[in-house]
Amino acid sequence: MRAAEILARDGPNVLSPPKETPEIIKFLKQMIGGFSSLLWAGAVLCFIAYLIEFSKDKSASLDNLYLGGVLIVVVILTGMFAYYQEAKSTNIIASFTKMIPRNALVIRNGEKYEIPAEHLVLGDIVEIKGGDQIPADIRILTSQGCKVDNSSLTGESEPQFRSCEVTHENPLESKNIGFYSTTCLEGTATGMVINTGDRTVIGRIASLASSVGHEKTPIAIEIEHFVHIVAGVAVSIGIVFFIIAICMKYRVLDAVIFLIGIILANVPEGLVAAVTVSLSLTAKRMAKKNCLVKNLEAVETLGSTSIICSDKTGTLTQNRMTVAHLWFDNEIYQADTSENQKDQIFDQSSATWTSLSKIVMLCNRAEFKSGQESVPIMKKIVMGDASEAALLKFSEVVMGDVIERRKKNRKVVEIPFNSVNKFQLSIHETDDPNDKRFLLVMKGAPERILEKCSTIMINGQEQPLDESSVKAFQDAYMELGGLGERVLGFCHLYLPEDEFPDNYSFDVESMNFPTSDLCFVGLISLIDPPRSTVPDAVIKCRSAGIKVIMVTGDHPITAKAIARSVGIISANSETVEDIAKRLKIPVEKVNKREAKAAVVSGMELKEMSPEQLDELLANHTEIVFARTSPQQKLVIVEGCQRQNAIVAVTGDGVNDSPALKKADIGIAMGCAGSDAAKIAADMVLLDDNFSSIVTGIEEGRLIFDNLKKIIAFTLTKNIAELIPFLIFIIAGVPLPIGTIAILFIDLGTDIIPSIALAYEKAESDIMNRKPRHKKKDRLVNHQLALYSYLQIGILQSVGGFFAYFTVYTVQGFKPDLLLYLRPLWENDSLNDLEDSYGQEWTKYQRQYLEWTGYTAYFVAVMVQQIADVIIRKTRINSVFQQGLFRNKYIWVGIASQIIIAVILSSGFGSIPVLNFTTLRIQYWFVAVPYAIVIWLYDEFRKLLVRHYPGSWWDKTMYY
Amino acid sequence: MVPRSVCLTLAGWVRPAAAPKGTSPERSLGSSFAELLLLPGPSEAVGADGSPFPRNRLLWRLRESVALGDRFSDIWDTVSLTSRRLILLFYLAFYGFLAALFTFTMWVMLQTLSDETPKYRDQISSPGLTIVPKPPGALEFSLNISKPATYENYIDAIKEFLREYEGKKQEHLLQCRNGTFFEQDNIFPKKTCKFSLETLGPCSGLNDVNFGYPDGNPCIFVKMNRIIGLRPQGEPRIVCAVKEGTEVNLATFPKDGRLDLMYFPYYGKKLHVNYRQPVVALQVQFQSYNQEVSIECKIEGSPNLRNQDERDKFLGRVAFKISLTQ
Repeated sequence: MRAAEILARDGPNVLSPPKETPEIIKFLKQMIGGFSSLLWAGAVLCFIAYLIEFSKDKSASLDNLYLGGVLIVVVILTGMFAYYQEAKSTNIIASFTKMIPRNALVIRNGEKYEIPAEHLVLGDIVEIKGGDQIPADIRILTSQGCKVDNSSLTGESEPQFRSCEVTHENPLESKNIGFYSTTCLEGTATGMVINTGDRTVIGRIASLASSVGHEKTPIAIEIEHFVHIVAGVAVSIGIVFFIIAICMKYRVLDAVIFLIGIILANVPEGLVAAVTVSLSLTAKRMAKKNCLVKNLEAVETLGSTSIICSDKTGTLTQNRMTVAHLWFDNEIYQADTSENQKDQIFDQSSATWTSLSKIVMLCNRAEFKSGQESVPIMKKIVMGDASEAALLKFSEVVMGDVIERRKKNRKVVEIPFNSVNKFQLSIHETDDPNDKRFLLVMKGAPERILEKCSTIMINGQEQPLDESSVKAFQDAYMELGGLGERVLGFCHLYLPEDEFPDNYSFDVESMNFPTSDLCFVGLISLIDPPRSTVPDAVIKCRSAGIKVIMVTGDHPITAKAIARSVGIISANSETVEDIAKRLKIPVEKVNKREAKAAVVSGMELKEMSPEQLDELLANHTEIVFARTSPQQKLVIVEGCQRQNAIVAVTGDGVNDSPALKKADIGIAMGCAGSDAAKIAADMVLLDDNFSSIVTGIEEGRLIFDNLKKIIAFTLTKNIAELIPFLIFIIAGVPLPIGTIAILFIDLGTDIIPSIALAYEKAESDIMNRKPRHKKKDRLVNHQLALYSYLQIGILQSVGGFFAYFTVYTVQGFKPDLLLYLRPLWENDSLNDLEDSYGQEWTKYQRQYLEWTGYTAYFVAVMVQQIADVIIRKTRINSVFQQGLFRNKYIWVGIASQIIIAVILSSGFGSIPVLNFTTLRIQYWFVAVPYAIVIWLYDEFRKLLVRHYPGSWWDKTMYY
Repeated sequence: MVPRSVCLTLAGWVRPAAAPKGTSPERSLGSSFAELLLLPGPSEAVGADGSPFPRNRLLWRLRESVALGDRFSDIWDTVSLTSRRLILLFYLAFYGFLAALFTFTMWVMLQTLSDETPKYRDQISSPGLTIVPKPPGALEFSLNISKPATYENYIDAIKEFLREYEGKKQEHLLQCRNGTFFEQDNIFPKKTCKFSLETLGPCSGLNDVNFGYPDGNPCIFVKMNRIIGLRPQGEPRIVCAVKEGTEVNLATFPKDGRLDLMYFPYYGKKLHVNYRQPVVALQVQFQSYNQEVSIECKIEGSPNLRNQDERDKFLGRVAFKISLTQ
């Protein structure tokens, strides 16, 4: 049939999954990225070296083979670790496929069929009812009270009516289109399918979201930069010494083995794991503070954020309407809008308030859901619209037990609110048994209410509504409206007992009761108030040099009011419009540079060229984007990124997902957010609270500092591992440390201390600094590299050599003898090599002494790394200012270093390949003086840095 | 200050690196290790304010000139040179200090040691065995009695080895008592026992200057490594046995391959200047040509001298091969 033809032409009504990189490719990528390729090269060289030896001599030592194997294991393990981390970040399309409805009720050939939704084609007529998901984009043909929830698309969960009229030329705004994957809440409708599969609105967003490239995270760039440095150093030193070795007439095979050693010594094998673990520890800490980080690297990105584009509703605000102001007796009173509304301090003694409170209480259809007696008032679930709920809670807080009072004032009749009348009315019996009059109460749009009034209540007395009171009303209305609040008017009338006796039958249709000449009582204004923690958080952002931009779909006036109340627009700054108003000049004549703040509506944004947007973002420090569509968020994010900023964006709707992906860090809302937003985001805010972002930023900045410390700690001993090879090649001494021992430092003793540095507390108030500059404030700067490599690293090497020489000397080989001894020392057939005292050594005895030397050097490096981890606790403060024992993990780390070394040296390490020997107890302390010197020297460095900020020393020595 | 010549070389060296004046104060250090060694770029030089170090006129001039921008680019270079000079000085001082520290700790360590005896001898508790002459590479002699070139080197090596034992050279040495340790812990200088070549019989070289090589009865000398203070228990002997090949007789000299206890203990190179190591000669008497034998010699008869170690093939034993052709 026709349907089948179209199905064949258009394909099934499903979202096509994005082209995925096969898992195996992803896995292999991890295996060759970063340092892995260097290690692979090392492993291959090992095997080649072994094969060459084996071809010459069948009984060649297996050491190279073992080493190659160990290297491959190291690469594969770290690769798997990284792959596992990456695999956790899920695919964006998954959530879209989950949203697809299973079946659809379709009318074909005049008959109803239930078919799988993916078989729907263009032109099908479908029926939907409350509870269904809409199976494709449809145009509504008939509708009976159909309401839809578009939150999966827009993030706004307010129910929207669907009918068959076109209300807007933009299909996204028009009321006669139902969108694929949204939910029908109530009512029924029939509609014609107008788009299927990837051509639906959500399909287009999905493909847009997956086509928006995710930028490399700043920390990934930093680590790449660092890998390049280290790899560059490793390869260049390796090649230089390869050439030197060849020139010194070493065998090529030996030169290759030197090359392996140099590469191994230079590559910080354990660093990637340490960094990943540190990041995930921070992520855990952040999760406790309601920031759930999905992508580990985002932890640090958050710390380098320089612009936050925040939603208003729910993020900056509490996401519930609340009574903000009251106006009665010609005076504006402020209500408490904090989360619990405990402190209602306005004047409640006036008789006007008594009347007003009665109207608020009675003229209200909202009710608490039953069974919530123990729940605090503010947390109770209310049935009814947002404004009514706000008024209900307000009166419950102020007067208590609204339901009981309503019962006492029995409702006789009511007219609910509708958009034509714009008022709501009800008639009640009074709770005064002596008063047989009915009370008519009414609320609605203030101007409509005022029209119906002829008197106004002042201090409990009805007074005629004269010009001055109308003026007072107008002023109050303007003022409250100007605050971006939704204003409601309240009036009442006691119906005369003679005209309306208690058996009078009221009829809503004929309106057989007065609706004019009522008595105006007061105004109440409502707002979705800011969360109470937000203003502090915004101030913190400001002191941390982070620009907060509000992006909202709300009205500019409301947006501006909220922005002012949370400090996004600070108290003394003005927009162009404000200046124009103050100076009474047209907006065009205002010098735009004078205005710090700007409120830009979506329409204006649409007209702007990218250059204009750049100018706007650059020249104004306080910006509010109002009436924006979620698509415009992407434009704003791109604009911010053009300013070289690191942008964090919050979002909840499906159509926020491109912006969330595009942003350096996308933050989805945990409560209000759609799944797609959560999946596109790097981070999920569990409490939807803006101030959680700020705590997250603090953690992110801390981990950047701590990563510096970790890297500085890790790089230091690389020199201590490298120098032995260089001295070995140049001075021909027996090898001071073997490659396996190097691996045991990198992947054994050093791992836990380096992770422990991630627990280090901040040295100063990190929220008083500017965000780091992407290109200027590098993770690894030359100060860090030089200080670690050329100062502490060299110091450590000297300490290591001291231990090495000591062990050789006490056994009979004095340092002068060791120089250029290598050809004899390593000669397998020389079994009577004479030492400094005339004793003769077999090859194996020498070999064993060499292993003792490895162990001594290893222990010396370990001991000095203890000093190193202590000095790395701080970069500028004294370790004692920081508190030597505040970070207990450091001591766990130090204990682990000692324990691992003791285990290796006490017999476990003596199995063939490892080659550790037992060291006399006193040789564990040989390097202690050097460790102390390291500590003292670093304290000295920090002292000068602290005392002479900006000096040459500061610039050269502070990393 | 830095010597002038150093500054000049440095200037030539530095200039290209300092070329992009003021363009980017930050320098990534990825580019090369050489650059890394060159140390901070021009920006570092600016920080004269409040600095305790460079009370230098150039820096004061710089402060005025910064405002004027690149026009005083020459000063930039000079100043960065000054900064570099500071850094060079710093590293000179730093490494000087390190060298001093190392020297001092080494000196202290050496002070704790005696010149005569090493502090520990635990890693050579038992001696190794070696042979003279020693074929290059693996211990495989390949002798052809009709080609003197295959053994001439060995004869020379033996002669060289036995020179120390010639009678003339041992004239002033003691004739010690057989079978007991020659203890002289409190005697200075230490005296040395004579090792008389006569005990080596046909391998002594006194009668046969060719040590039996041309005759197909080559002599091979087995010696035990010197270890200070070693006192073998029992009656140490070097016992050699044929492992593969049968048509040979082995004869050891002195009788039974005995190592006399009078040559122990050894007091070290410095105290025991003329020490003569006891040697055992092994004559391999081939019964026929064109055959190969494997021989292993071991120390036996002394409980504290080990001769069986899995990893050390030379600890108290030595194995070698001889092939003889005509």
